Amino acid sequence: MKKAGQWSKEQVSLWLAEEGMQEYVEPLQQADGQALLRLSQADFQKPPLSRISPDSGKQLLEKIKTLNIEHHIEAHKNGFANGHVVISHEGDAGASSKTKRNGLVNGFHKELVRIPIPEPAGPQFPTEWGKTGVAFLYAICCFVFTSIMISIVHERVPPKEATPPLPDKFFDLFDRVEWAFSVCEINGMILVILWIIQWSLMKHKSIVGRRFLFIVGTLYLYRCITMYITTLPVPGMHFKCSPKLYGDWESQMRRGMKMLAGGGLTITGSHNLCGDYLYSGHTVMLTLTYLFMKEYSPRRFWCYHWGCGLLCAVGIFCILLAHDHYTIDVVIAYFITTRLFWWYHTMANQPDLKRPSRTNFISRVWWYRFFQYLEQNVKDVVPRSYQMPISWRSLQSGHVKYSRIDSD
Amino acid sequence: MAASQFPDSGEHASDSSGCHVEVTVADSSQATPPRQTHPASDTLDSVRKGDERPSRLSRSFAKVLRKNQDYIRITIPVTRLDRLPPEWWKTGLVFMWAGFNLFCTTVMITVVNDRVPNKSENPPLPDKFFDYIPRQEWAFKVTEVNGMILVTAWFFQWLFLKHRSIVGRRFFFLMGTLYLYRMVTMYITTLPVPSMHMNCAPKLDGDSIGMVHRVLQLLSGGGLTITGSHMMCGDFLYSGHTVMLTLTFLFIREYSPRSLWWYHLICWLLSAVGVVFILVAHEHYSVDVVVAYFITSRLFWWYHTMANNQSLRDSPHNYLNRVWWSYFFRFMERNVRSTVPCTFSWPVQPPTACFKMPCGRYSIVQSIREE
Repeated sequence: MKKAGQWSKEQVSLWLAEEGMQEYVEPLQQADGQALLRLSQADFQKPPLSRISPDSGKQLLEKIKTLNIEHHIEAHKNGFANGHVVISHEGDAGASSKTKRNGLVNGFHKELVRIPIPEPAGPQFPTEWGKTGVAFLYAICCFVFTSIMISIVHERVPPKEATPPLPDKFFDLFDRVEWAFSVCEINGMILVILWIIQWSLMKHKSIVGRRFLFIVGTLYLYRCITMYITTLPVPGMHFKCSPKLYGDWESQMRRGMKMLAGGGLTITGSHNLCGDYLYSGHTVMLTLTYLFMKEYSPRRFWCYHWGCGLLCAVGIFCILLAHDHYTIDVVIAYFITTRLFWWYHTMANQPDLKRPSRTNFISRVWWYRFFQYLEQNVKDVVPRSYQMPISWRSLQSGHVKYSRIDSD
Repeated sequence: MAASQFPDSGEHASDSSGCHVEVTVADSSQATPPRQTHPASDTLDSVRKGDERPSRLSRSFAKVLRKNQDYIRITIPVTRLDRLPPEWWKTGLVFMWAGFNLFCTTVMITVVNDRVPNKSENPPLPDKFFDYIPRQEWAFKVTEVNGMILVTAWFFQWLFLKHRSIVGRRFFFLMGTLYLYRMVTMYITTLPVPSMHMNCAPKLDGDSIGMVHRVLQLLSGGGLTITGSHMMCGDFLYSGHTVMLTLTFLFIREYSPRSLWWYHLICWLLSAVGVVFILVAHEHYSVDVVVAYFITSRLFWWYHTMANNQSLRDSPHNYLNRVWWSYFFRFMERNVRSTVPCTFSWPVQPPTACFKMPCGRYSIVQSIREE
């Protein structure tokens, strides 16, 4: 916007209309910017302005005064004069910090204080399904990678005759129970189904889904690394591992895909590959679904929390009881899952920790950038609110009551 | 808005990013009292009270000025609490915790040694690193030498820190907890020896006196092969050497000035080379080293985030305090109210009488204060 002193007559009229002073447009239609700035009290005593102005031009004069100051700020860029300073917070192109003294007596001078009015905040919990899609792809990649890795590791597992199972304290105390692993897997399936139902009823499902997919993906990625670098022998002689393929890549791929399709569960018959012991994927799923279910359900559902906690604990205990994993696998899986969950959620819920700084150590993890990408626009703690996944309105047509609102 | 109270307030012209309000301010030619209130509120205050106040204030402060013509006293509010109290007794307790855990770890290694399967029965497990890099005998000595250098460097650095009590407490707590975790993991599942070269001490089968001997030998040598005390097997998951190398490096970097980048680089190299050479020497499986690094770094960052972010302590959405040791954490860090600054001081304060004021210039200031 040009400086007030350079306004043309049309711009003056436009400005008067904008300021809600249409009544002055006609008498001042010959006034340009300079003339406007030179208007004074005396002009309002004479007709025609005296006839129109209800308050003898006070309002208009005040507005012109503001224009004047801005005009002076630009035109007279002097140094400090007797301590007159304009306080201005924004780096406006026009406003400099120096201006002329505005002739007032009594040792008072005027200052311009800028009050920044905050922009209306955007939605606090934008859905951003795109980001959830990216997290989903990441999780899928990690799962596929894990399946491939298990196929590869299967080739490296020493035969159980050559390397008997390692000594394990739990195995010393408890003998193997055959049906225990089915119990574990059933518990796992119940928990996953409950979690999916709970998730679909959530209001902010895209944000929560994103978090779940990211954490699950990362945990499986870590698992790929640990199971690959050192291969533990089978934990029990009861294991029936598929025969090794020795470099037949096609069959290995097919095996990996079959496992992915079955979800890696023994019940579906896809868990016949050995070597994926450190650390236990079953423990990860049980623990993670329980943590998410507890976190994103109302506090007062303590029955629900206790029930799920019991399912989870029993499932983990049954893994060990079935001698399907070493104790160390389960302990490390539990440790990593809980730490990663708490770490992520602390970072997500504390705005201080979303910015890297000297005291923010937990931003030093390798996935911090990805985390920022996912959680940048989530400004607050995600509330635990629920809604039906599909709104009833889309199912019912011709709902007469709302039609007036709709037409707006 | 306060603007309406002013004698001559202007209307505001709103533009796109804010409002402008005209306020009337007293000229700075009058004596403005140097108070510690915000300068903006200061001037507004003087305006609101009108003309008379500035002159009364100016009279009283002129009196002050006349008395001390050299300088103006600025009262700084004295904090009643010391923000970083040393509390050496807490450090002592945590030192005992670390010592206790170290002792239990030694006992556990002795116990586990009996459970390690024979090399002939359970050959070393397949390890990706071992497939690529064959064993080098001298590598483990390098690791241990690096470890000793790092520990010594950290010790001297700690000695010269100003807040050594707080930092020492943190170090001992983390070390103790890491060795506690290590005790658990090495006991529950026993891995076989990583390489056929390892000669394990013979099994004792319940000979408790022999066990005590071994514990003492291990403790006195610090668990190092160089000192000849590392003859027991079974403590593979996870690697204690990696823990010490990583932890000392993290502490050295955290509590030294950022400008000493060359010092940090050297320590990082020592630490990294030490860790890699553990694997080159086939003394630990890769998973032992990876898990040890992971646990050490995560625990260090977790603890320091909790300690340095005061806003987390009262926040209800702080999931970091769901760990089992959060109670101990609160005990230790309750009175530490700010980030520990990286300041150094002599460990022992020399008596001040030894140092006289060298400059004659300050004597004038001193004499005024004594008035």
